[in-house]
Amino acid sequence: MASSVLYHCPCLSTSPIPPPPHLPSSSHSFHPLHTLFFCEECDAVRCNRCVSVEVSGYYCPNCLFEVPSASVRAEKNRCARNCFMCPNCRNTLSVVPSDPPDAGDGRIVPISTVGEPPFFLYCSHCRWDSAEVGITFEKPTGLAAQLQKSEDSAPDSLEFERLKEHFEPLIRASSLSSSSSAVPSSAAHSHHLHSTSITAAASAALARDIPGVGKYNPLTRSGRGNKDRSANKDEMPDYKSRMDIITASKHGSGGGVTDIEFMSHLEKRSRCRYSRTAVGLQLGSIITEQPLRIPLHSKRSKRCPACTHILIKPEQKAQSVRYKIKLVAANYLPAITIALPHQVEKFGHASAEAAKRPYGKAAAPTEEEKEAMGGLVAGETYPFHLSLTNPLYDPIQVKLSVQRMHVAAPSSSDHSAAQEKARRPPFVVSLSTTPFSVAAFAEAWEYDDDDDILDDDELEARLSGREKEPKTKTKTVGVLEKRANVTIVGGEVMLRKEARGNVKFNMLVSYTYRSDDPSPEGNIGSPSKSKVPETKTFAFYTVVELGTIIPREESRIDIES
Amino acid sequence: MEAPIYYSKSEFIETDTGNKVSRRATIAGPQNIILGGKTIISSGAIIRGDLRQSRPGHAVVISLGRYCVVGEGCVMRPPYKTYRGTFNYYPMKIGDHVHVGAGSVVEAATIGNHVEIGKNCIIGKFVIIKDCAKIADNSIVPPNTVIPALSLFAGSPASFAEDLPESTQELVESQTKQFYQSFQPLDRDR
Repeated sequence: MASSVLYHCPCLSTSPIPPPPHLPSSSHSFHPLHTLFFCEECDAVRCNRCVSVEVSGYYCPNCLFEVPSASVRAEKNRCARNCFMCPNCRNTLSVVPSDPPDAGDGRIVPISTVGEPPFFLYCSHCRWDSAEVGITFEKPTGLAAQLQKSEDSAPDSLEFERLKEHFEPLIRASSLSSSSSAVPSSAAHSHHLHSTSITAAASAALARDIPGVGKYNPLTRSGRGNKDRSANKDEMPDYKSRMDIITASKHGSGGGVTDIEFMSHLEKRSRCRYSRTAVGLQLGSIITEQPLRIPLHSKRSKRCPACTHILIKPEQKAQSVRYKIKLVAANYLPAITIALPHQVEKFGHASAEAAKRPYGKAAAPTEEEKEAMGGLVAGETYPFHLSLTNPLYDPIQVKLSVQRMHVAAPSSSDHSAAQEKARRPPFVVSLSTTPFSVAAFAEAWEYDDDDDILDDDELEARLSGREKEPKTKTKTVGVLEKRANVTIVGGEVMLRKEARGNVKFNMLVSYTYRSDDPSPEGNIGSPSKSKVPETKTFAFYTVVELGTIIPREESRIDIES
Repeated sequence: MEAPIYYSKSEFIETDTGNKVSRRATIAGPQNIILGGKTIISSGAIIRGDLRQSRPGHAVVISLGRYCVVGEGCVMRPPYKTYRGTFNYYPMKIGDHVHVGAGSVVEAATIGNHVEIGKNCIIGKFVIIKDCAKIADNSIVPPNTVIPALSLFAGSPASFAEDLPESTQELVESQTKQFYQSFQPLDRDR
């Protein structure tokens, strides 16, 4: 297991303290830094689980056409242009012409610029083609329009239309009533109300008596309080399908012999078809064997769940990766990376060895090799380096503190916890709790690596005026190195002899920064610069994972090899 | 504190713009290949700059941007098709900060910026990969597929798996820069 640092989002629990790392719930509340957002209004970290999402635009993932939201519904959320998906493998289909006629002398004569009709849709992955199911086109353009008729007259789409028609007045009524009665608190809230009224109606419809199906009585129906008020809202006529299964079909009604005959007929048909095309497929795919229209994708904007301020607002253009608003946590919280020096040394050594060999590969060791080399052996003590990168334009003061392993145990130190042997922490982390500073982020450092002339270390040293501390072997805990907007802090982990599992601990990071917000009272009257800059403190939890502990017996072999 | 990845100094040729090209890579038709700078061509890679359009004159066959990595044993080959009865190769354009994992075969028409392609992938002819997309390891992307921006594609045939986070661009950019920094020559006396 590679070492990592994940950040806590407190959205899943009511307490700001995260669950201890050995619990399974821990992995649900921690996220990589780059997936998190930051709400400036609430001064809080937000994750993808807690933000409210709204669609800001639709596009087809194949032709990248931006579909106006007005036509999305009419086109059933699918691309209405020439994009089709293979019914077998879901790959995109391409339009291909038929083989050009042979001129007789083995030479192929190109007739037209686009190719020879009839055209058909062809899957370049599984070699399915639409001619197989009898779909061909006279022109290679406007396929959607050519297919529209057969799609619209398909019994399933007709049935769906009918269902939609049936529910339409009900949805309109319920959305009207919900929008008029709903408290205009937030968009998300009213949306929630809306959807519940639809689902309530749908479940009511589902619960209606169907001959031959046992009556299902959901608890919500009987337990509803305001029955008389919503009674007329949920009242609706029984739905009659286009084709009544029992009367319209001559199969199925009689059951028994006729059904079996019908099925064996189907089976025979499918077998002879597929023996010809030499594609062995299940019976089920016959029904769906039609080019499928590609479902649309959407661009989404994200809002803070508490204050509904926008955190993410993408640009209108579908394929742009820029954002109008983008409040990501990486721009607010210091980025923390972890490294185990003994691993770094070994990897460096290994890749150096590889480079020295005449025909070796100059590559990073593979993950497995890394794991074998950089394991943590039980009973040993390892130093680790936390490097903190400050994204802010002001210097910050950071304080790190390791959360005690067993919050439940009322012990003040690890020694008393050791009394219960079973619950004894398998490792002890020592980390300096004295605050340290991380210099401000400045654009100048960004140009470092774009500069070809100077040695990077030299340049950095010159820019930041760093005095590199002489590397003493003894010092492993505390601030080790400061350069540009990065500070490297050392820590140590002592593994117990009988330790097993992963080395994983929660760490509280609190940092103090100069606030940009002007103080609310009278900044206008006194533009004096002598005012003490206001500072703010923000704290967040992280979980630090160092790796898996290798039991003592195995480790010996690793060292020897 | 990234572990440096050492290579033997004699194996790689470093250009003025910081491109590092392995002597063990097969570069065919180098006059038709553009490297944007700080791009690494690993050993065993094959880049077919010789498969050019049959038009007279100079033609760019494969262009790579800055901070790209072509992994070990990769094959980069321009796509071809027969159009109006004539067979032709078409140029391949690759943006900045693109990493191609070891053992992948790429025949794409266009690859945007900040794209990650995993190991042992096959990218079919005329595939278009938009910015900040990612192809998982061992994926097969069939010909003519379009991969939209900020999406992860995986499987065989590769299909949409999930949306990538909004900060993918910054993430990939820092990763590719860091990789270039850590890719260091090894002095013989060490």
